[in-house]
Amino acid sequence: MGQIRLEGLYKRFGVHEVLTDINLEVDEGELCVFVGPSGCGKSTLLRQISGLDQPSEGKVFIDGKDVTRVSAADRGLAMVFQSYALYPHMTVRQNLAFGLQNMKMPRAEIDRRIADVSRMLEIEPLIARRPGQLSGGQRQRVAIGRAIVRDPTAFLLDEPLSNLDAELRVSMRAELAALHARLGATMIYVTHDQIEAMTLADRIVVLRLGRIEQVAAPLDLFDRPVNRFVAGFIGAPSMNFLSVADAAPLLGGGTPDGVAIVGVRPQHLVRAEKGLELCATLVEALGTETVIHGTLASGARLLATVAGHLKVAPGDRLTLGANPEQLHFFNANDQRVDAIA
Amino acid sequence: MSFALANTIGAVFAAPVRWLAASIDAPLRLWQRLTGKGGMIAFFLMPNIIVFGTFVIIPLFINFAYSVTGGNELFLTDRSFVGTQHFDRLLTCDNHFDPSSCRDDLFWTAVWNTARFVVVQVTTIAIVAMGTALILNSKIPARGFWRAVFFFPVLLSPVVVGLIWRWILQRQGLLNFVMIEMDLTPVNWLIERDWAFVAAVGVSVWAHVGFYALILLAGLQAIPRDLYEAAEMDGTRPARVFFRITLPLLWPNLLVVIVLALIRAVQIFDEVYVLTGGGPGTSTLYLTQYIYEIGFASILRNPGLASAASLMMGGVLIVLTLGQLGLQRWRDRA
Repeated sequence: MGQIRLEGLYKRFGVHEVLTDINLEVDEGELCVFVGPSGCGKSTLLRQISGLDQPSEGKVFIDGKDVTRVSAADRGLAMVFQSYALYPHMTVRQNLAFGLQNMKMPRAEIDRRIADVSRMLEIEPLIARRPGQLSGGQRQRVAIGRAIVRDPTAFLLDEPLSNLDAELRVSMRAELAALHARLGATMIYVTHDQIEAMTLADRIVVLRLGRIEQVAAPLDLFDRPVNRFVAGFIGAPSMNFLSVADAAPLLGGGTPDGVAIVGVRPQHLVRAEKGLELCATLVEALGTETVIHGTLASGARLLATVAGHLKVAPGDRLTLGANPEQLHFFNANDQRVDAIA
Repeated sequence: MSFALANTIGAVFAAPVRWLAASIDAPLRLWQRLTGKGGMIAFFLMPNIIVFGTFVIIPLFINFAYSVTGGNELFLTDRSFVGTQHFDRLLTCDNHFDPSSCRDDLFWTAVWNTARFVVVQVTTIAIVAMGTALILNSKIPARGFWRAVFFFPVLLSPVVVGLIWRWILQRQGLLNFVMIEMDLTPVNWLIERDWAFVAAVGVSVWAHVGFYALILLAGLQAIPRDLYEAAEMDGTRPARVFFRITLPLLWPNLLVVIVLALIRAVQIFDEVYVLTGGGPGTSTLYLTQYIYEIGFASILRNPGLASAASLMMGGVLIVLTLGQLGLQRWRDRA
């Protein structure tokens, strides 16, 4: 239970189309992450699935049943909001119980479920507190607990970690991954943070301007982006894009037909005897790696990430090479061109 | 305008300011040296303290002085000390619930009329303001226009409100004209006791509800939309959403509305005085009108009695306000 299918989904606000022809299938038990820049439509898409919004066109299926016109409450989904959306005047217990009381569930069953979830998420000591008395991480747990306690068909999570500080985000990310493994439930997770997407997802859906650009497993997305946008969006720091002429020193075996742009990730550039001649303009020593910003003779900018400490100063010249298998080729329309076999 | 000309004009206007600043600089420095930080705070607060003292604090003491002195004279030096005589007169009753058994039956009639008015008017205002705010907060066409429409009566002078509604409600007024046109029996809205009370409450609600609705509307708009969406995901029925989410979160605003409406209702005077003049009989005679009549309007004016009544009314208002604030603190702690 928990398979979600979207067919030809469109969403328009007046003349403004925010979702265009969305077709997607999320498998049972899968953790699917919607990722994309701000305003790409990922949260809007989640709202169409949740039932909080109605699509202008297209259908939403849950477990094969068309739920497009079914109310949010009757879709059997639970949502974790970016702001947590905990009722501030209720205690944690009341927050957890609220949805169950709406279902007219017997009190003993409500108590049992709250006890189970509180134990699972380690929020038992917080049960009598109000959200205002909790830290960000604790509120996050309660928000997740409120979703779990309903035993939903699938979980929808709308940027649930974006309000947490960096350190807490890392630990909550690990907890969410563990929770997914434990519950085995279908989860759709919206984020603009590609590291969250890469670390959590079974599959990632990359969106841009309301359209799906690519759906793939995290490493497939990293290794074989279908276009320049996905290539640039996935991976940090972003991929370098060079003209064929600039990239010539890396292209020992030539290029496939129709290639206009060559992409190389900063992490795939290494110091070499022959290759790109880079003049360093800025060096960021991060301890585990050194990030070198620089320019080529043509003036094109390039970024290289080299593992460990590297003694380079602005103004120094370096020669960088790359494994040809790790180069990405794009045509004039920014679409991927497969390398010569 | 050239830069030089602008500079010249600026310098002309700046000159007196600079002169003023320079002339008070030395005395202020001296004052600060003599009195320290506290003295400077007192210096800057003094203008407000003088205005507040002149128009609020001093009149309060004068009012108290009137309440313990007797006679028709206005100058305190001409009045004789009577102690608590006025308070005794106002409070002496065989049965406080029966004004006819009281020494000053008109005072207790006004007290109970006011109490009844306050309960009905404040309750009605709270409910109507809430309903109006909920409607104005929903997705209705021309929402801005409707918000303005409901707020317009607040901008009218209470006397104008009273005159407009008297024109509508009097025996040969607009409402009865419409009723006759519709083959309905006309009603003496301002002459029958119960209808006059309804008219007084209705008109005052009409005149003030826009203001209170605005306070509640601000509260409603401050409730995060996410909470309603979470409730929607939870399958919460609209009535439960209202009573379990909207109402508790709107409580601080509602409390402000109740306190303000309560204070205004206890002080009700102008629109009802213009509308009904306190009648028929004394059925819409309220405390402020009683104080006005006794202190200024009646032939045998008695400023001391009016002052005693106004102090008692002030005491009631303070108790009500403190009670409401205490309730809010208790609720915030709970």
